[in-house]
Amino acid sequence: MRFLALLMVMLMGACAKPPLVQTQSYVFGTLVDITICGETEEKAHAVSNQILQDFQRLHNQYHAWQESSELSKLNQSFALGKSPISIGPELSDMLIQAQVLSKQSQGLFNPAIGGLIAAWGFQRDEFTPVEIQDVLIQELVKANPEMSDIEIKNNSAYSTNPSVKIDLGGYAKGYALDMAVAELHKQGIKNALINIGGNIIAVGQHGVKPWRVGIQHPRQPGPMATLDLPDGWAIGTSGDYQRYFEQNGKRYCHIIDPRTGYPAQGVQAVTVLIPPGPNAGVLSDVASKPIFLSAPEMRQSVAKSMGVDHYLLVDAQGEVTLSVAMNSRIHWLIEPKSLIIQ
Amino acid sequence: MKSSLKMTKPLFGDVLVLFLGLIFVGVLFSTLWNHAPAAKVQIRLGDKIYATYSLDQNRTVEVKGPIGITRILIDHGKARFASSPCPNQYCVHQGWLSHMGQAAICLPNQISLELLGGEKPFDSLNY
Amino acid sequence: MMDSKENKSIKIQTTVDDHRIAKLAALAISLHLVEAVLPSPLPGVKPGLANIVTLFVLYRFDFATAAWVSLLRVFASSLLLGSFLSPAFALSLSGAIFSLGVLFVGQYLPRKFFSAVSLSILAAFAHMAGQLLVVRFWLIPHAGIAYLIPIFMGAALVFGVVNGLLTNYLLSMNSAKQAG
Repeated sequence: MRFLALLMVMLMGACAKPPLVQTQSYVFGTLVDITICGETEEKAHAVSNQILQDFQRLHNQYHAWQESSELSKLNQSFALGKSPISIGPELSDMLIQAQVLSKQSQGLFNPAIGGLIAAWGFQRDEFTPVEIQDVLIQELVKANPEMSDIEIKNNSAYSTNPSVKIDLGGYAKGYALDMAVAELHKQGIKNALINIGGNIIAVGQHGVKPWRVGIQHPRQPGPMATLDLPDGWAIGTSGDYQRYFEQNGKRYCHIIDPRTGYPAQGVQAVTVLIPPGPNAGVLSDVASKPIFLSAPEMRQSVAKSMGVDHYLLVDAQGEVTLSVAMNSRIHWLIEPKSLIIQ
Repeated sequence: MKSSLKMTKPLFGDVLVLFLGLIFVGVLFSTLWNHAPAAKVQIRLGDKIYATYSLDQNRTVEVKGPIGITRILIDHGKARFASSPCPNQYCVHQGWLSHMGQAAICLPNQISLELLGGEKPFDSLNY
Repeated sequence: MMDSKENKSIKIQTTVDDHRIAKLAALAISLHLVEAVLPSPLPGVKPGLANIVTLFVLYRFDFATAAWVSLLRVFASSLLLGSFLSPAFALSLSGAIFSLGVLFVGQYLPRKFFSAVSLSILAAFAHMAGQLLVVRFWLIPHAGIAYLIPIFMGAALVFGVVNGLLTNYLLSMNSAKQAG
């Protein structure tokens, strides 16, 4: 009996409960948390620092409003209607992928509306109420910047619509997650959990159990639910409680509806759970927004068109709608006052 | 005890008391062990852990971050951001944290609070 | 005690039962002392073997005698251990009082359905509760005790069952002896 126990412990491999090495840092304009299980402290710190540096590079290179970033330079070129300028292969890949996703979401995911995001004051580090410039907003909506206005060929790009201003805010964190997973695999790390501003992807497990994540309650300080995140799965939430301002008793969050030019109303948070795949991270970031912006009767079909089986939505009244698949995985800590399973 | 222990049929009352006793102990475990209040608060500044305090005291902690001094209040089992130089005051609006795993963060001043105490019900928070 | 003006020798009439009770009390004290010396995995958690004697006396004699033996044990042991009026004494006394209280009621449970095991379990819970109250309200007024309560009560249940079974066994041996 003792032999069996010893054998089991050995077979469980390196990741028994400790050692957990957790690194926290403020990069990417947000809080990044990397937890590595079952490696020596030196290796865990070395790999974490490498990943954090990569994140910082991504942050600087594709910064939406710092004028020196590669992305800003591209936006400036778009605005001036210039002929194609050359861009790096990474940006090229990102833009192409964003185009595909934008089409898939029927334009609800639209990184080309940087102009609108700036008009609402969300292209800043802190958010204070802004004077709502309705005229400007209507002009921008009418100008209809879309990802499909961008032509990308041979690592160069130009835009047929000068109002296109790319803001990868709803995409970059997901991209960074996928990148980090690739790096972890390359370094031979088998068990880790990466959290970029709340967006999480899992590698391996936490010892003998899967990684477990908590889901923030949109209006209270703690988690409202937990669920297990098996190897390769990713989870992302779009909420109105992190980036927003309030004016005249109304809340304006950073998720702008490209059709109206105004922030979405009526939804507090959308969480999506993405199964393993090369773009799990990207999808966990992107896919929650189209659902957030959809009318209630459209949510289910929009989720489906984004390839999302597991989603959860908390509306402005605190009522929860979730998919059958999500319902089977979620463990409520704070029971919602009402629940619709679809 | 060298003489043999006769295994007589257990009495109904004994079995009942034992059963109720087991339920009683089980209930104690499930109530007292799941909602155990947090024991410590961990304050992080930037990448590093700034300090860890027991929640069993009344104390104000001042932390100097990149944009100024943030005041954190600890009061017998709960903690909160009392004041902070950030423009949005999201951290202050989070209010009191009183259960294990709860956290609040002042992003502009790079300060975070987290309540620790025994096992967290999850490894990381999605938000 | 017999008060007499004459210088007669004072004789305290003792019965055979008194002798038996005294022996049992001595046994209880010894068991308590032995347990006090043995290390226990968790501070404050002891098998409580002396309680077997209390229960045995309850069955063989009556509640009053059992209470006597129990309290005698508490006081005498603490004097012998040098812990009179100390926290350990308070714990011991509190536990004894609470378990006696439960036994006072529990002794009326029909013997047909409830044996010493039942009484032992109930007394063990009460004993532990009495001790935990002293800890919580006097010794360590700290919220952290919540974590320990389930463990201590679980131990009380286990030891309660064991002690009860031992008491049953002793009672059956004893009555066998008395019968034949």
